[in-house]
Amino acid sequence: MNPNASVTGAAPGGARPLLTRRTLALLLLGGAAGTTATFALRTAVTGSEGRAPTAAGGAAAAAFDETYLGRRIVGAAVPGSEVDGTPAWRVTVDGRRLHLMRRADGTYMSMVDHYATYPTALAATRAAVEEIGHQALRARI
Amino acid sequence: MAAKTVRQNQRTLTKAQKRRFVDAVLTLKRQGRYDEFVRTHIEFYLGDGEGRTRVAHMAPSFLPWHRKFLLEFERALQRVDPGVSVPYWDWTVDRTPAVSLWANDFLGGNGRRSDHQVTTGPFARRHGHWDITESVTDGDFLMRDFGRPDHDPTGLPSKAELAEAMRETVYDTDPWNSLSPGGFRNKLEGWSAERGARVWYNHNRVHRWVSGHMLGAGSVNDPVFWLHHAFVDLCWSRWRAHHPKAEPYLPLREPPIGDPQHDKVVPANDTLPPWDTPVHDLLDHGDLYRYA
Ligand SMILES: [Cu+2]
Ligand SMILES: [Cu+2]
Repeated sequence: MNPNASVTGAAPGGARPLLTRRTLALLLLGGAAGTTATFALRTAVTGSEGRAPTAAGGAAAAAFDETYLGRRIVGAAVPGSEVDGTPAWRVTVDGRRLHLMRRADGTYMSMVDHYATYPTALAATRAAVEEIGHQALRARI
Repeated sequence: MAAKTVRQNQRTLTKAQKRRFVDAVLTLKRQGRYDEFVRTHIEFYLGDGEGRTRVAHMAPSFLPWHRKFLLEFERALQRVDPGVSVPYWDWTVDRTPAVSLWANDFLGGNGRRSDHQVTTGPFARRHGHWDITESVTDGDFLMRDFGRPDHDPTGLPSKAELAEAMRETVYDTDPWNSLSPGGFRNKLEGWSAERGARVWYNHNRVHRWVSGHMLGAGSVNDPVFWLHHAFVDLCWSRWRAHHPKAEPYLPLREPPIGDPQHDKVVPANDTLPPWDTPVHDLLDHGDLYRYA
C-alpha cells in the first residue's frame, strides 16, 4: 500500500462531513491542509526538507511510516502549517486519522491522550497505539 | 423557582440520591442529550500551540468554561428530576478503587485488565444502557484503567499538591496558557510551566488516574467527569474565599496587539462560546448553587 493512499484515503468516513459538524476543534487539527484530499504526503517524506523546522523543545519532525505494535503508523508534517516553528501533523493508524494537537512548548498530544504531551508527533502516535490496544480508531473523529 | 441547588460530596449521598442521579444520567443518555455534552467537550478541546482562540483548556477560561458546562449539564439533569444535582468527588480523600464512588450502586468499578472494559455498575455496556458512540476508538463500552499499571503508573494528586495550587495569589499569569509559570488556574489545571517536562498535576492527573475514556477526547463519556469537575469548581470557590483581595479572573482585558496571546484567550470583559455567557456572570455561583 502506498503511503499516499494511506493518508489521502484515510478516514473512510471522510474528513469533510466531519468538518462541517465540528467547526472549532477541527480547524485546529491541521488547518486547511487537513481538508485537502490531495495533500501530498510523499513531498513531505522525500522532499528537500527531510526534517521540518524544529520546535522549541527540539522536536525533530522527520516523517514516519512504520509498524508499531502491529499497527501501521504513518505521519508527516503539514507544509506551511507551522505555528512558532511547530508544524501540524497528519497522522494515520492503520489508515485512520489520528488527530494530534500542538502544545505551546512544541510538544504534541493526541485525541487518545489529552492530558499529557509528547516531545514529537511520533512519540505521541506510538503512545496512542499503546493506549488503544486492540481497538481501531473511529473513522469520523 | 425551585430552591437553590446544593452540590454534595458524593461520599455523603444516600442510596436513594445515588439512584436518582444515575437514573437521570441514564435518561439523558437515552434521549441523546448526554452525547451532545460529549461532543461539545470534544469540539472545544484545543491545544495552546495551534495559534487559535482557546476557551476550555490551557487558557484562563478553563474554570468558567467548565463551570458553565456543568451548569448546563445540571440543568439538563434537573429537567429529568428536579431533585438531582451534580455531586463532587474529593480525590484528595477518596483515593482507592474500593471507595463507594466506584460501587455497583453508583459509578461502577475499574475496567478489566484485558481491554479496560467497565463490567460493573449502571454504566457497564452489558446492562444495555451505556453504549459509547462519541469516542476516538471504536469500542462501544466504557473504559477505565485506574492508575495505569501497565502504561505509566499514576497516582491521584495529594492534598499537598492541591494545596500548592491553592496558595497561588493570582488567578492566572502571562502567557495565559499551559506554560504560565504562576497562577492558580494553570496549577489547578495541572500543566507544568517547564517546557517539555512530562509531569502533570491536579486536574490533569485525575483524568490520567481514571484513564480509559477519561484520558482522551471522549472523557465526558465517563460520568465521573462531572464529579471530578464539580470538585475542580469547588476548589475555585475555595481559592476565591482564601484570596478575597485577588482579582477573581485574569486577564482583565484583551492582551494587546503584538502580544502572542492577542485574540487567543478570553479576557474578563468578554463572553464564552458556545453559550455567549459573560465571564463576569460565572465568577460567583452563590445565586445558582452552593457546595455542602
Ligand atoms: Cu475539559
Ligand atoms: Cu477535565
